[in-house]
Amino acid sequence: MLKVLVIDDEQYAREELIALLDEQDEVDVEIVGACNNAIEGLKKVHQLKPDLIFLDIQMPQISGMEMLAMLDVETMPKVVFVTAFDEYALQAFEDNAFDYILKPVEPCRLLKTLQRVQSSVQPTDYKALTNKPLSLIPCAGFNRYVLLKPSEIEIAYSDQSGVHIIGNQADSTENSCSLSLKVLEEKTELLRCHRQYLINPNAIREIRLLDNSLAEIITTSGAVAPVSRRYLKMLKDRFQLS
Amino acid sequence: MELIFSLLQQLSVYLVIAYLLSKTPLFMPLTMLSGRFSQRLACYVVFSLFCILGTYFGLAIENAIANTRAIGAVMGGLLGGPFVGFSVGLTGGLHRYSMGGFTDVACAISTTAEGLLGGLVHLYYMRRGLVERIFNPFLAFAVLLVAEVMQMSIILLVAQPYEQAFDLVKTIALPMIIANSLGAALFMSIIQDRKTIYEKYSASFSSKALTIAERTVGVLSSGFNQQNTQKIAQIIYEETGVGAVSITDRDKILAFIGIGDDHHLPGTLISSQHTKQAIENGELIFADGYEVAYQCSIDNSCKLGAALIIPLLDSENQVLGTIKLYEPKQKLFSSLNRSLGEGLAKLLSNQILSSRYIEQQTLLTQAELRLLQAQVNPHFLFNALNTISAVIRRDPDKARQLIQHLSQFFRRNLKHNIESVTIQDELKHIHAYLEIELARFSDRLKVNINIDEQLLMQYVPTFTLQPLVENAIKHGTSTLLENGVIDVTGYLENGVVLLKVIDNAGTYCLNETELQTGLGLQIVDKRLKNSFGERYGLTMLCQSGISTRAEIRFPYNKENHRC
Repeated sequence: MLKVLVIDDEQYAREELIALLDEQDEVDVEIVGACNNAIEGLKKVHQLKPDLIFLDIQMPQISGMEMLAMLDVETMPKVVFVTAFDEYALQAFEDNAFDYILKPVEPCRLLKTLQRVQSSVQPTDYKALTNKPLSLIPCAGFNRYVLLKPSEIEIAYSDQSGVHIIGNQADSTENSCSLSLKVLEEKTELLRCHRQYLINPNAIREIRLLDNSLAEIITTSGAVAPVSRRYLKMLKDRFQLS
Repeated sequence: MELIFSLLQQLSVYLVIAYLLSKTPLFMPLTMLSGRFSQRLACYVVFSLFCILGTYFGLAIENAIANTRAIGAVMGGLLGGPFVGFSVGLTGGLHRYSMGGFTDVACAISTTAEGLLGGLVHLYYMRRGLVERIFNPFLAFAVLLVAEVMQMSIILLVAQPYEQAFDLVKTIALPMIIANSLGAALFMSIIQDRKTIYEKYSASFSSKALTIAERTVGVLSSGFNQQNTQKIAQIIYEETGVGAVSITDRDKILAFIGIGDDHHLPGTLISSQHTKQAIENGELIFADGYEVAYQCSIDNSCKLGAALIIPLLDSENQVLGTIKLYEPKQKLFSSLNRSLGEGLAKLLSNQILSSRYIEQQTLLTQAELRLLQAQVNPHFLFNALNTISAVIRRDPDKARQLIQHLSQFFRRNLKHNIESVTIQDELKHIHAYLEIELARFSDRLKVNINIDEQLLMQYVPTFTLQPLVENAIKHGTSTLLENGVIDVTGYLENGVVLLKVIDNAGTYCLNETELQTGLGLQIVDKRLKNSFGERYGLTMLCQSGISTRAEIRFPYNKENHRC
């Protein structure tokens, strides 16, 4: 059984796709959710761990393509792009053999796509779309979405409840983020300073050396991040400290 | 006393020659102090001649010559500067020296000194920026007076034997001082007159030309046709005061104003052989009625007796038409009007060309618009169809309505030829468009339309409001995570219609969207300016992340209120 998540900013478009998925009975699918933007989508992907997402390309603030770049390659579900019309994107899909369907959705085409996704074992390589650095990092604050530029982030860390971000703005002190530390490390200039911490090198005010080859980093806005033994050397190399 | 009269007699001949010479182009450089080499050379040549002439016109007295040589030397210096003065004096002096006599050396020295004196006076006024004063005859009088006194002193000092020199000076001093000073003053006054006449001539020429140029600006911008050329002909007729003015294209008379307008009728074919010839060969024809016969080709009793026909040429020298100036039989064609006519032809040719350029620009805008309309936004179309697919499931009646709206929208987009529509029609178009978009973004878009009823019958260029609304959705509210709100308002403010489309996205300030939307909005603005003038049009105001306001302004037309 395929666990499916539908991500599209238009309500009727979501309804139509879900209806079409329900109507076919060749492939066994379970619709685990539907989201109306990429930020919700990221959250649901982490929560529900779907096998397959239907991803609209044109969405507010963060497009389907950008959202794809924010997913961790190791836990990435299979992706079928959905679009009404987008010449350039379609060309890219064709070139890289990505799965896509066009709106209005043709039931036969949908079925073929489902069957192909079900039978493919190898994970698809999305590098052609996803190797650009991220320009906006979506975070969920209290009752709101916050879109941070990577330069506004001072510290990113993870704990049992997920990834959190400390920004340099007074009002965005702590937000939870649906991106993994690994994605953030790869696609922004944040540096690893601890197994659970990333630090923005431009926000470092002070590296305080402690006993046992440990250290602490104090950021410009006064936040503190621990530095583990393993990463201290790398930090020193980076800043040419001896 | 006798000497004074004889010397003055000689002076008269001298001045008559000067007067005659003043009629030649050789004199022109003397009236302008340009300091250029050509002017200096002319000064040197003319005044050296006068200097030598002065010696020849002199009266031989006691082995010496009473003369008016000093005039040439001093005037040369005054008008040409120290170097020219010195050269003229030296030339005249050497010439005098070659004639011998006991004062030969003294005269050669004094003439050179007089030339230099004139030059120094020139330098003095030059340094003070009072060059124009050099043309004052009284100044010439005074300088010559000084120069002659100086000459007499040099003769007394240099010439030997002293007694003979003293006697000579006693005889010639007064006559020469009077004759030379008077002569120089009169000579200068001839130059001054010449200068005044020339300046007046060019001043009236330029002022006429400028007035005509100013009054005709833009008249031809809406085309080279009967109505506009009639206006131009009227202006030329008033400004030049010729008997009649006519403008033709290649085949017929477009405008005719003045004597003979009872039978030279606009719209009739060209019958004059002269005009046909001018058009055929692209050449100017001047039928002065004497050398080149002129007879009106339409009516033998026509009072017009001379015509100047100038072809209007485009940039490739193709004849566009002609402009004709006429004078009646009893009046002479002034040369001023002749050269003015040629200038006018050039001016009109340029205006015709620029009006063609504007016309082509307008055509280009229309072509751009067509292209824009033909570009049915595919993203909009397929999303609309997808929405309808979904609506069919839950509400077939609503789906049917949406299809109607979609058809209405596209039908309207395919109508290419309508230039302008009422705001009411434009609102219907927006309505059809919005019904689809509101269905698509059913849960997160709100549009408020509030247009004053008195504006509904006002005309705007087609596709004025709808592109603004489309823009506000496509590049504005659809990029928002939160709900989008668009306000469309219209009201009257001091006789000006104000239409506003305001969204709550404020994304227009970002350069990336500007690039995509630029062309469409530019065309909206350009078409409004074309219809209503440069003062009106579209302005975009943006507060980043808060709102984008598109504002249209154009004058309220009272005749189109609602009936």
